[in-house]
Amino acid sequence: MFKKSLNDFMNYFPFLIEVIKRDFKKKYYKSILGVAWSMLSPLLLMVVMSIVFSTAFKRSIPYYPVYWFSGNLIFNFVTTGSQMAMNSMVTNASLLKKMRMPKYFFCISTVTLQFIMVLFSLVTYFAVELIFGVPITFNIIFFFVPLIDVYLFTLGLGMFLCAYGTFLRDLEYLYTIARRMWMYLTPIFYPIDIIPTQFRFLWELNPIYIYLSIFRDLTMNGIMPSERTFIIATLYSVITLILGIVTFKEKEDRFFLYI
Amino acid sequence: MEISKTGRELQPQYIIDDAPEVKDDDVCIDVNDVSVMFNLSKNSEEGVKEYFINMIKGKVAFNEFWALRNITFKVKKGDSLALIGRNGSGKSTLLKTISGIIKPVRGEITVNGSIAPLIEINGGFDRSLSAKENIFLSGAMHGHTKKYMKRRFDEIIEFAELEKFVNVPVKNFSSGMVSRLGFAIATCVNADIIIADEVLAVGDAKFKQKCENRIAEMLKGGTTILFVSHSTPQVKKICKKAVWLDKGKIVDMGETGEICDKYTEFLKLSKKPTRIRS
Repeated sequence: MFKKSLNDFMNYFPFLIEVIKRDFKKKYYKSILGVAWSMLSPLLLMVVMSIVFSTAFKRSIPYYPVYWFSGNLIFNFVTTGSQMAMNSMVTNASLLKKMRMPKYFFCISTVTLQFIMVLFSLVTYFAVELIFGVPITFNIIFFFVPLIDVYLFTLGLGMFLCAYGTFLRDLEYLYTIARRMWMYLTPIFYPIDIIPTQFRFLWELNPIYIYLSIFRDLTMNGIMPSERTFIIATLYSVITLILGIVTFKEKEDRFFLYI
Repeated sequence: MEISKTGRELQPQYIIDDAPEVKDDDVCIDVNDVSVMFNLSKNSEEGVKEYFINMIKGKVAFNEFWALRNITFKVKKGDSLALIGRNGSGKSTLLKTISGIIKPVRGEITVNGSIAPLIEINGGFDRSLSAKENIFLSGAMHGHTKKYMKRRFDEIIEFAELEKFVNVPVKNFSSGMVSRLGFAIATCVNADIIIADEVLAVGDAKFKQKCENRIAEMLKGGTTILFVSHSTPQVKKICKKAVWLDKGKIVDMGETGEICDKYTEFLKLSKKPTRIRS
């Protein structure tokens, strides 16, 4: 069965590329700045957030704009990517109803598209780091490691949500609320220090926080995180991905009635 | 397991006894005892409220609808098979099951070869993309490279008569244009099997003629065609064999002429009691 799935994947791979290209074109259809928006919009938000919060967290965060930018980058990718993957069956209904194809391709394509946006934003991120004179060390070249973990985690989460969201449209609205709560529970715009020590272990259960701290350590603080952190991060991704694939495979045969 | 018990018993009566024995390597589509069931009550279950109500009610809320029951037939390579029957008899469901969009509850379908489906008259396209982009997307869907599609591109556009609308989004097309494009793509991607669901209903007479010629040409070339239409003369013209479905079951199958005549007879009979009083 595994071999058959792999075969399927290889056969339809050009189709996946074509779908990603299509989504990319559609995203910036008739927009003048196009892809520059994914570089600009976090920058604009960063300015506002820095004006509001940088004095409040001056003591614990030396480079607040960079701190906020990195947090927003990772968090936004996870939540937007998974939410779009959740809706991907409904948005691509016309193609799914036409012929047989691996349905999870649309989850991959939406998450990959978001990931490409992250790569564009990264250009701005590194530029911002240079502008603010963040001391960069050699460790920065490993920045892609947490990003790969985040990608797999988002894909798994997206597939899991998609398996249920296709049947239960309420999940979309529920997830919008959950997203906001998750945002406040993740140290994006505040430092982890403001959480009382006895509760901090709860924050450390949050996978986004783990990815974020690895990413910040590598790119901002110039530290190499411990091996343990890397292992936990990868475990989170792999387990979520397996969970996503299993749930999706179980439910996908019944999708056609709901799209 | 009670469902399968009742189903299996009925099965033999739908196999034609005098059907010639076909060799396995000749068989293109093998539909073996296929049943498709929809859960009508679950269909509307799109909100939390309904979901929980159904959950509490449990299986009481189930309203099973068997769209197809114990369908068995084989199609040889290069054959042309028509599916006829009234609205709601399961023709489209059967086509969707064969093309792999719907998974049967029971039974098995073996398809040897690639399928080009023409199932929804206005669907199957990404409506915000242009005709050109849709052609390449469909090509990729059929596993063709961009290079290959570039070679066939002019042919597709020419057949669909859309030279002036190459870069226009499909959402701005008329239904005739969409069906022309769909037909042109499906017949140009070199698929082994073409599944056509009332695709010729929209085009004008001239285009219909063109399509019929194209289909005849492809049949000569060894393509298998599954065809659904409500126009019996058209079915007679295109297909050699026919399967008559009613309420999800096979009523009869065999040579097109014979089956179509029986079907027309049946329609005349069933019309009488429902005639509106004037």
